[in-house]
Amino acid sequence: MTSGVRLAFAVLLFAGALTSAAAQNAPAPPPRQQVKIGFVEIAGDARYEPVRAYERIILKTREHPFTGAEVGVDETAAFARVLPMDFSLDRITAKSPADVAPAVLAALDAGTHFFLLDAPADAFKPLVAAVRGHDMLIFNVSEPDDSLRRDLCAPEFVHVYPSRAQLMDGLVQFAVSRKWRDLLVLEGPSPADAAMTAAFEHSAQKFGARIVAHQHFKPGTDPRERELNDPTLLSAINRDFDIAFVADDAFDFARALPYQLARPRPVMGSIDLEPVAWRWTWERHGAPQLNSRFDRKSGGRHMAGADWAAWIAVKMIVQSALRTRSADFAKQRAFILGDGTFDGDKGLALSVRRWDHQVRQAILLAAPYEVVASAPIEGFLHRTNELDTLGDDEPESPCHLEK
Amino acid sequence: MRRLVIALLSVLAFTPAAAKDTGLIFVSNEKTNNIIVIDPKTYKVVKDIKVSRRPRDMHFNADHSKLYVACGDDDVIDILEVATLKIIGKLKTGPSPEAFAMDEKRRRLYVSDEEGSSLAVIDMDRDAIVREVPTGAEPEGVLVSEDGKTVYVTSEAGDMVHAVDADTGTITRDLVAGLRPRRLAATPDGKELWATAELSGEVVVIDRARFVVIANIAFLPPGMRKADVTPVGLIMTGDGKTAYVTLGHAARVAVVDVPTRKVSGYILVGKRSWGITLSRDEKTLYVANGQGDDVTVIDTNSRKAKLSVPVGRVPYGIVVDD
Repeated sequence: MTSGVRLAFAVLLFAGALTSAAAQNAPAPPPRQQVKIGFVEIAGDARYEPVRAYERIILKTREHPFTGAEVGVDETAAFARVLPMDFSLDRITAKSPADVAPAVLAALDAGTHFFLLDAPADAFKPLVAAVRGHDMLIFNVSEPDDSLRRDLCAPEFVHVYPSRAQLMDGLVQFAVSRKWRDLLVLEGPSPADAAMTAAFEHSAQKFGARIVAHQHFKPGTDPRERELNDPTLLSAINRDFDIAFVADDAFDFARALPYQLARPRPVMGSIDLEPVAWRWTWERHGAPQLNSRFDRKSGGRHMAGADWAAWIAVKMIVQSALRTRSADFAKQRAFILGDGTFDGDKGLALSVRRWDHQVRQAILLAAPYEVVASAPIEGFLHRTNELDTLGDDEPESPCHLEK
Repeated sequence: MRRLVIALLSVLAFTPAAAKDTGLIFVSNEKTNNIIVIDPKTYKVVKDIKVSRRPRDMHFNADHSKLYVACGDDDVIDILEVATLKIIGKLKTGPSPEAFAMDEKRRRLYVSDEEGSSLAVIDMDRDAIVREVPTGAEPEGVLVSEDGKTVYVTSEAGDMVHAVDADTGTITRDLVAGLRPRRLAATPDGKELWATAELSGEVVVIDRARFVVIANIAFLPPGMRKADVTPVGLIMTGDGKTAYVTLGHAARVAVVDVPTRKVSGYILVGKRSWGITLSRDEKTLYVANGQGDDVTVIDTNSRKAKLSVPVGRVPYGIVVDD
């Protein structure tokens, strides 16, 4: 807690005392404390550009997850009586990744200790150095990059969005549980494709699946490069495979892949069976009601993974106040990073891994109109928490934040 | 819940003299929009009654002449005449009614509107919502106190149990109770309120006078994963000694010794078991299995399932006319 906020609280308490003295009879209700949450995003974040078939034909709209955070704050209305606190959400749009750290520090000075960060991986590095040692928790709500958890390894961050390692472990657990152990890998040209493929191959090794071939594709129609751009040729390999995995962040190649393989095999990864943090078709654990609240708030947009992460990040902050009965940042942080467990509408209770501050969570395996399964898949066991079969478990992680 | 409502109504000095004791078993089915009626002797389906969309919670009136059915996707409570097995009327509710309780003395229904995050107070004679009490998100289980003065309602997403003053329609007390509290039952001595907590996999025992949590009863059938233990429905025997709790995806009913709060056994049922009820002689327990599309009939002496009866798709509630 910064001195500014402490002072504000002291003033409020003093004012409350004055009021009650003046009233003489019934003591005034305790002053309501403010818990401020900053939602930080970057203007022009390329991750939110729509995926297009052609300039005017949009395949997927992608939106900043601010609405998810709003739904979380709306839900706090019900706590108004039990909790003498008000939660506010401030949307901060930085002009560039370099502007994120100054904006966050300015908000901290104004009494904000909780931030939801909706930014790509390259915005994290400068921020980590700038916020080191400050009283704040920054919830990563949209970036799966494994290196943020492994290499940056910063105590001020909580990774609510699942890591690529978690996502790919969930996907491979599902394939292996179906006895689809022979996998064809199709990797795209972007760094995100490489990161996704690396995580997938690691997962395959972890759960005993075999990569029978690893093909690099190059999107396009150039007949001289058809060995690189034709799905049938790319999959016409001697060894059989059970399922093809495709890593294609740009989506242009992946969308044309199903039904074009040399063999009649299904596709997973960037299309058809996708490992996700959330999907609007998820029906269990109260999900329909959450989806419905989100749909109403967003004007009909379906809730996606980052929206869910923003929602649960707010809920974690609110729960830390509710369960500790406190607006004291140190107590709230201790709860969130310690014993706190949270209901994310995905079954097994969520909690924060003490070693890298990744939120333990189920991964949904989503087909276009159905969540086919949720990982951890039954049978993948762990000595303490089955959710730790997904992603970097303590012995494997190079990050050891402990406290 | 049904038993509790009956107990409540007898306290309110209504005599169920007109009850015909047909013994018929009624099952509401969320996805097929119907009530399946089962003969208690043959366990054959004797009637399939079309109702409004997404029927869920059901309660009889005091003399069992009518069965009220909350229908979530049409925002109504259908009224079924038990003698003719026909729908004879509807009451309008708020958005997506899920569970409700009835107070016939005051001619009121208290309905949790899942999507509206409120408890609607409905005048049964005027067919009008006379008050809407804002609750935490996703209100669910509703219970009226014996004297009719207090209405208890859970908020699934708010992790709370609210106590509502029936006269003023205001929430007088809130209590944080487990993760995702669903349904309520009161011990017959009037001292405790039991709430199933779906995500924390437990029953939370609440002292009604002080309105604090005094115990937590955790469930974990042997060999089950904790994530699949999702308690929802519960019912107590008339002597207040035994409680039966449906454990959702664990496909079990837990048997709890109420005075000691110890789990004394688990009975195998179908998946996503929610709705639960007892025959009047308490020898038979009926459980609706949402992901089995059937009903399990259990002999309470041997604690064994006797048979299962296929019903509609996604059965939710189950009540017996006896």
